[in-house]
Amino acid sequence: MLFEIILNGLLLGGLYTLMGTGFSLQWGISGIINLAYGGMMVLGGYIAFALHRLINVQPLVSIVPAAVILFFLGLLIYNYLLKPTIKKGSFFVTVIMTFAIELVLENFMLLMWASDYRIITSPYSSIAFNVLGFHLPLIKALIFTLSMLGVFAVYVFMNKTTTGKSIQASALNPAGARFIGINVEKMYMYNFGIGCAIAAVAGALASNINAFSVVLAGGLLGKVFIITILGGLGNIWGAALGGITLGLVESIGTIAVGPEYNEALGLIVMVVVLVFRPRGLIGKKFWDV
Amino acid sequence: MFLDSIKKKSSNTVLLLVLAALLVLPFLLSGYWIRLITTVFMFAVIAKSIDLMMGYLGYVPFGNVVFFGLGAYSAGIGMSHGMPFIVAMLIGVLVSTIICILFGTPVLRLRGHYFAVASIGLNGAIMAIALNATGLTGGAMGIIFPVISLPPDMINKVFYFAMLLLMLLAIGINVIIIRSRIGFAIRSIKSNEDAARSLGVNTTFYKTATWVISASLTSIAGAVYGYWMSYISTVDVFNIMVSVTSILMVLLGGVGTILGPILGAGIFQVLSEVIWSYFLELHSGILGIITILVILFLPRGVLTGLRELFLNRALSKKAVKTNE
Repeated sequence: MLFEIILNGLLLGGLYTLMGTGFSLQWGISGIINLAYGGMMVLGGYIAFALHRLINVQPLVSIVPAAVILFFLGLLIYNYLLKPTIKKGSFFVTVIMTFAIELVLENFMLLMWASDYRIITSPYSSIAFNVLGFHLPLIKALIFTLSMLGVFAVYVFMNKTTTGKSIQASALNPAGARFIGINVEKMYMYNFGIGCAIAAVAGALASNINAFSVVLAGGLLGKVFIITILGGLGNIWGAALGGITLGLVESIGTIAVGPEYNEALGLIVMVVVLVFRPRGLIGKKFWDV
Repeated sequence: MFLDSIKKKSSNTVLLLVLAALLVLPFLLSGYWIRLITTVFMFAVIAKSIDLMMGYLGYVPFGNVVFFGLGAYSAGIGMSHGMPFIVAMLIGVLVSTIICILFGTPVLRLRGHYFAVASIGLNGAIMAIALNATGLTGGAMGIIFPVISLPPDMINKVFYFAMLLLMLLAIGINVIIIRSRIGFAIRSIKSNEDAARSLGVNTTFYKTATWVISASLTSIAGAVYGYWMSYISTVDVFNIMVSVTSILMVLLGGVGTILGPILGAGIFQVLSEVIWSYFLELHSGILGIITILVILFLPRGVLTGLRELFLNRALSKKAVKTNE
């Protein structure tokens, strides 16, 4: 029983890690609390859903087009809406701007797909196998593996490529980065786009196991907040720690106090962490404020 | 100097005229308009209390709606146990104050956006508790207030004046605060918290005190709202949208100005109502687009924008005169 709960928590934590990574990058590096993140996740889910329905693309393959579309959408949003706002206003005006983007996105999705709950039923959704007497559906294992691969890809990109290193440099010391010829604004833009693409991938993956709808965007955003705060900002390890912690808290909480307290439990853990360790469990100081 | 004093006198006259108009209005308008203006007053109070934190102290309380919900729920629970409204409302203020002190002392140490996020977390956690503590709060069923035995026309007017009074109270408190010691303290914290502390300002005390004032006003607004609607539910009164739209109103009107948030509340609420009645399906999308346009083209708010416009015009006139 305990093994089952922990395994479930870890599997969930894998997806949460991916979810948190994108948000954490946007917040920690581009300095944007992206309130449209939940909406972007749902949009990713809808893209996968539409591709599966209309031209019968394999649901797990459709994460690629979803990521590409959201990446370019992210670039456009950053360039035409967020960049001018950052130049003119304070940090919180930017937050309100992303909220306005969320309103527009949600309204668009509502018009396109209505608020009914959808789910993608993939051809392999009924396959399952046994691990030490535990019933493990193949699709959950696949989603976990793909999430981990995604996080790993982001890690490699950020640490081994010139662009990735430039993005990190722009966050660490914008003036110094400019000095050595890095176009900091452009790096922030790429970083924001990558964050949006990760949101789309996470949303498209999640739509295979959970029914989704526009009305869930707010709840998803709440989860992403918890993951990011728990772990720490701008740091993939932080997102991983936060994601797995939240996955475990939720799966243990569901058994211990019932599923209706899931959201509250996560939030309470987040607030406790904020009070005692404002920068998150393993966040570094220099990302702060 | 002379010109300034005339200007001040004339703006005072305008304010008095507006106030007189607001006192007469409910006797001229239909119920629909009275209710709309009452919601404007309510949002003005919430926006004013958010601006106290955001405009003067520099901390954005994204989750301030939690006190709105606490106020509404305290009033509802108290009244359904037979308390008079005023007592139930004061219990709400007390509960909000206690939560502010307990939670604010550690959390207000967090700078900038961490405080904003922590306050969102607080709202979510208390909302979930209210939703699940079915014995006390009725859970997802919500709370029904005792029926008010007045004709509906009278009810509209009573709540109109109640909210108007509350809004005037909020403005009064704002004016008193910025002229008092606490006002200087919180503005010094906004401009440089470390410097303020090193000069001996007890920053934690003043920050918590400001949040208590902001929370109390919001919770009274929540109590009056609950009594007015006569039914409340968690998704209704703990809705984070209330905070976010109020912040938007503050931005729209002008951050850190006395009348800005109120002007913003009026503009936003009326605009929202118009969009609601003409483009029901596109409502949130159009609101989003308007918000985007306001931020891009009027980033410092309507009031500040207008003031700058007039100031520039006055200055250029003066310049022309001196040239002559």
